[in-house]
Amino acid sequence: MSMCVTRPFKRVCWKALILTLLFASDRCCASQSDFRATAEVLRSQQQTIVKLFGAGGGSLDSYGTGTLVSGDGHVVTVWNHLISTGYLTAITADGRKFSVDVVGTSAEYDLALLKLRSEPGDSFAHIDLTKASNPDPGTPVLAFSNMFHVATGNEPVSLVHGVIAAKIPLEATQGRWTFPLKSPVWLVDAITNNSGAAGGLLTDTAGIPIGLIGREIRHSASRTWVNYAVPLTTLKPVIETLLSGKKLDSTPKDAAAKVPVISDQELTARFGLTMLPNVVERTPAWIDTVAKNSIAAKCGLQRGDLIVLVNDAVITSVTDFQQQIAAFRSGERVALTINRDQQLLPLDLQIP
Amino acid sequence: MNHVNVRPFWQNGLPLKADHSAPARGNYCEVIQPSSLRSQLGANFRQASKINLWLQFILTALTMAAIAVPTVAQQTVVERETARVETLRKISPSIVCVMDPKGQGGGSGVLISADGYAITNYHVTSGCGTFMKCGLSDGKLYDAVIVGIDPTGDIALIQLQGRTDFSFAIPGDSDQVQVGDEVMALGNPFLLASDFTPTVTYGIVSGVRRYQYPANTFLEYTDCIQIDASINPGNSGGPLFDIEGRWIGINGRASFEKRGRVNSGAAYAISVNQIQKFIGHLKCGLIVDHGVAEFTVATSDAGEVTVAQVSALSDAYRRGLRPGTQVLSFAGRLLTSANDFQNVLGIFPEGTRLPLTWRDRDGLHAGTIRLRPLHAFQKAPELPEERRQRPPQDPEQQDSEGHLLDTTADEVPEALQSLFVARDGFCNYYFNEMQRLRVLTALKERMASNGDPKPVWGVTFTSDPGSQLAGELTIAASAVGMNLNNRPFLQSTTDPQIDEESPQLPGLLIAMNQVRRLLSCDVAEFTEQQAAGRTFHLPLKKDVDVLLTREGVRTCRWYFDESSPLPVAVDLEYAQGIDDVRLLFADWADRNGVVFPGRIGLISGIQEDVRWLNIDNVTVNKSAAPEKTKP
Repeated sequence: MSMCVTRPFKRVCWKALILTLLFASDRCCASQSDFRATAEVLRSQQQTIVKLFGAGGGSLDSYGTGTLVSGDGHVVTVWNHLISTGYLTAITADGRKFSVDVVGTSAEYDLALLKLRSEPGDSFAHIDLTKASNPDPGTPVLAFSNMFHVATGNEPVSLVHGVIAAKIPLEATQGRWTFPLKSPVWLVDAITNNSGAAGGLLTDTAGIPIGLIGREIRHSASRTWVNYAVPLTTLKPVIETLLSGKKLDSTPKDAAAKVPVISDQELTARFGLTMLPNVVERTPAWIDTVAKNSIAAKCGLQRGDLIVLVNDAVITSVTDFQQQIAAFRSGERVALTINRDQQLLPLDLQIP
Repeated sequence: MNHVNVRPFWQNGLPLKADHSAPARGNYCEVIQPSSLRSQLGANFRQASKINLWLQFILTALTMAAIAVPTVAQQTVVERETARVETLRKISPSIVCVMDPKGQGGGSGVLISADGYAITNYHVTSGCGTFMKCGLSDGKLYDAVIVGIDPTGDIALIQLQGRTDFSFAIPGDSDQVQVGDEVMALGNPFLLASDFTPTVTYGIVSGVRRYQYPANTFLEYTDCIQIDASINPGNSGGPLFDIEGRWIGINGRASFEKRGRVNSGAAYAISVNQIQKFIGHLKCGLIVDHGVAEFTVATSDAGEVTVAQVSALSDAYRRGLRPGTQVLSFAGRLLTSANDFQNVLGIFPEGTRLPLTWRDRDGLHAGTIRLRPLHAFQKAPELPEERRQRPPQDPEQQDSEGHLLDTTADEVPEALQSLFVARDGFCNYYFNEMQRLRVLTALKERMASNGDPKPVWGVTFTSDPGSQLAGELTIAASAVGMNLNNRPFLQSTTDPQIDEESPQLPGLLIAMNQVRRLLSCDVAEFTEQQAAGRTFHLPLKKDVDVLLTREGVRTCRWYFDESSPLPVAVDLEYAQGIDDVRLLFADWADRNGVVFPGRIGLISGIQEDVRWLNIDNVTVNKSAAPEKTKP
């Protein structure tokens, strides 16, 4: 039996050996194929999250989450109602409290860049945008946010785990507001669609930042609450533009331009509801008549009620109300807030 | 304390150290099928002109290696799964499906001892009534009775009947739980399993030491564990386990919002370390109360916890706390926020004595305070409708549950009924009686040698150190007298006054009056006697059983440990705004036919020093009852 090894076979052997080592090392990574992360990773990520507080009211939360992106105290978050309130404070992970200025916003990316009013010499732990990665579906992820305002002061924000379920363009709405971003976002199987979670951070288990947790919106087709995060690789150029001081579109595009409206007739036929005739430009949403045993009557609406809120949205006119109601589909439940005899009453309306 | 370190978990089952500094790109790497590997190698084979058997052997070995090596990680996953399955197999028999007698609603629970004690939520039992039906993973239904409740902490103790060999959960140390730890919640959400096989949900710890306000109720979740495992209606009262199968909490609350009352990814478990502090009380059939510290704190902008208000009648005030005083630690925990203080306060039952450290202009101080009642419920408090467990909404489930449980009789069997005694101020007086008699019967047996139940004792003593004090006590049913360094003191037992006490040994006369009452073993000596749970005694630094006695306005907490039927200490509360009289008893012995301590320690002053008295002699003198005269 010959012990010689010919050159081609040597090559084969080497290839096999390399393959072996390659696969072995690749499989090593698979040992990380769960959400588990080191305490160091969790601690350092917690340092980059701030708790935001602003004005809320009704079902609009007065709190939110932001993620530090610079040592000077720049914070990114979702451009939601909280940012528009004008008065905003932030509490960093160590419990320090800061006033907050809005540096810039991007309606297209649903993004706001904030700046903590820090003292000279203050420095902040922050995520490194240049390290943001673009992982594939199936990657285990961690989501850091102050959902439900569970943490106060220097308490660490909440942590939930999951995996990236898909990377897809998102068609979703919040009332008549439509999610503007056209490029793909990550859907995650962790529940991130919670009060105050928007603007929190999505990372992988090694602590690499990957996304900004999105707002509380429903998928256009399924009407389910979507757990999504916008990739930081998508947001990076936008954040850098805003950091450089350039202004992007500073006013949101008029989303109401081509919004469907439920007609007066339909409102009467389906809901048993007649509104005060829409005679001036902004006729308040007064209820004129309510048909007996109608949906509107069951909901508790009465003649003379003024509709103030539909879910989170402030109703400024009859048209406004008709647009808002048109955005809901049959079977959905809508929280109405009405003004009756100078008192605000919550009512529960089921769309027929 | 057994500190079981459950972390770092990533070192527990992983033979490979992952490099966490590198991006974990593509963590779920493509699955490489051995067959495709072979065909790849096979293609190379075909290029070869000659196949040597040796080479074939080497290649086979290498191929095997190529297949074998990748499975190391797979093995890890498989091993972890196997371990998890095994753990679940072990812990599942301890899971209880708690239901009202008709099976219309309920929640979950966990067995904690072989004799059937199980922990669940108060908001589960409050909807179930006195007697419950409990399903276990063996598919069988057991009768259970309510034992004790902690309405504020949302905890209830029940006892399952019919066996003495129940499987039970082993508690871990919930103070060691950290954010990121893997956890498993077991229970019966939506009353899904008609055979009571528990539902398992898995998640991680989202936060620790959370404080959850009592939202519209008295249910307050302090120092709790926040998790992202699915918690749904019916999970209430069910246990939370760490990945090793140690019981670390009771799942009882979740942040419900726009989705309705279903999982939102934010649920809260009452820590097992808190529950452990209440189990002794619960076993006494009590409505256990939480406490107040009689001062409030605020977090300053500088992150300091300072006293906001303090009651002038409180322990804290007498120790020297004033508005603005910085509180550094409470019950051994450093405070960084007012929430921290609330968290510590919430994990102890009323009556517990806790150490406190604080700082003022004069420097650092340390002392203890005893928690006073928070609610003092006389009856089990009602919960708002929406907090009660409701029957399953799904009619199909109701049918299946109803069908299953219709076979059981609605009437409570007599044997079970005898396990419940209603009484104001108690959850189930039957259990209090049981615990009280256990302590008192042992005491009575030990005291039997005393003979005359109403003797007059003469006790001579000297103080440590240096015997500066020497005295003689005369303890009788009508009065207690003392000659201390030739100065006489006398106090009637029916109307004792504070100013009748000696300044050197304040409270000794009134305490001896109570000691005589206890040692006479005559229930008529007290207006009330009850088992009052278990507490960690300071300064003895050990767990002790508490027997509470009342006589007029005087309340005594007698502390007993396992070593002896005789008390090791007593705290006597006799007037508002005055420190308890606190005595330690040591070296109990029979002298001249009297069972009496060899040493009595008197804890006194702001500094809480212990002054020991050596009992030199004890005599019995039936005729020498002291006259009630003012010295």
